[in-house]
Amino acid sequence: MTTNLSYTEAFAALEAIVEQIEDDSIQLDQLAEKVKQANDLIQYCEAKLRSIEGDLKRIKT
Amino acid sequence: MQAIKLSELTAEIQLTFEERFAGETFWIEAEISDVKKYTTNRRCYLKMIEREGRNTIAEIRAVFWANSYSQIEHFEKHTRQTFADGISITCLVRVRFHPQYGLNLDVLQIDVAYTLGTIELERQKTLERLVKENVQSVTLVDGVYHTYNNRLPIPMVVQKIALVTAPNSDGQRDFLQELETNRHGFSFYITQFLTQIQGDNAHELIMGQLELIEQQNESFDVIAIVRGGGSQTDFKPFEDYELAKMIAGFPIPILTGIGHDRNTSIADMMAREHKTPTKVAAVIIENNFQFENRIIGIKDWLQKKTSQVLERANHRLDAMKRLVKASSPEAILRKGFTMVMIDDTIVTSAKSLVTGAEIKTQFADGDIFSTVTKKELHDN
Repeated sequence: MTTNLSYTEAFAALEAIVEQIEDDSIQLDQLAEKVKQANDLIQYCEAKLRSIEGDLKRIKT
Repeated sequence: MQAIKLSELTAEIQLTFEERFAGETFWIEAEISDVKKYTTNRRCYLKMIEREGRNTIAEIRAVFWANSYSQIEHFEKHTRQTFADGISITCLVRVRFHPQYGLNLDVLQIDVAYTLGTIELERQKTLERLVKENVQSVTLVDGVYHTYNNRLPIPMVVQKIALVTAPNSDGQRDFLQELETNRHGFSFYITQFLTQIQGDNAHELIMGQLELIEQQNESFDVIAIVRGGGSQTDFKPFEDYELAKMIAGFPIPILTGIGHDRNTSIADMMAREHKTPTKVAAVIIENNFQFENRIIGIKDWLQKKTSQVLERANHRLDAMKRLVKASSPEAILRKGFTMVMIDDTIVTSAKSLVTGAEIKTQFADGDIFSTVTKKELHDN
């Protein structure tokens, strides 16, 4: 679900989840699912911040 | 006809000049050209010229000797301009005729304030023109230039960076080093657009690189234009109208670290100014660190929230358990109540019993069996 999201998209998704959870009416079984989604998003961002694909590229003119 | 030797004539000329100009100095305004600097023996040969339209109406050779060569360094340091062909200066000169080298002006001093004044005037003109001719992308708000470019938001995370800098320069090295050794271990993808970044046509070369960046398929989060500091940096390319205009309207946020502590160039004003290459890199790292802090904040909040919700659910469960326990028959019997039963069915009403019925009365610690002998119903 989290592949190829931009940081902006991932963060917006996180904020949406937070908003849903903040509203105390959330069901217990839903909560577990939401928290899992949120943690996946966070992990995705953390990994992306430090991923080591690619390298320095130089363009000379 | 009695001919005289050339040297006699030149000696005569020299004498004439000395009689007229000895000990006298003049402040003159002139444009310089044909500048040849010899840094090792600290000499500078040049021409002073004056133009009227397209015509040169005065021209004379001039020279900085070793004892006044520091004037050039002083000039470059304070005006941030290279002492080069085409600039106008005000300077103090002495007229000298040398039998061998001819007529020369020895330059003794340069009026830096005059040049600074000219630069400032030029700068004000450029800034006014930027605002006037680029209504869409440049506005002056309370003394600050708001441009389309410097109002673009910096992405939450900056990873794809287009770096415009000079090859093998201090600026390039400092910038890359700061990013590569960042203490958070963030990764960056840097595409370098290397070009000369000072000198006469540097502004055109930088514009060329910006065009190249715009043509790339991949999108960059930001562009960094950096160069190392030092006293010999040339300010002029960054005062250019066309470059400033291009920066102001450029669609990718531009961060400048072009290394001058005292002055802000026009290019800086059109972009986001961070003074040094290292500072630009540090700002990028900090930007990403703040993003990470935000998501870590959310993570902590989620944890707290989850345990709160679970705790509350547990509390409710406990309360229910207590209620259930308190209302169990055993608990009630222990309090001194009894239960009346017939054939293991609880009797909850006196009405349903008839005289002579066999009943069982259950206590907490045992049962007794009896026969109903009399019945009195309550009125209500």
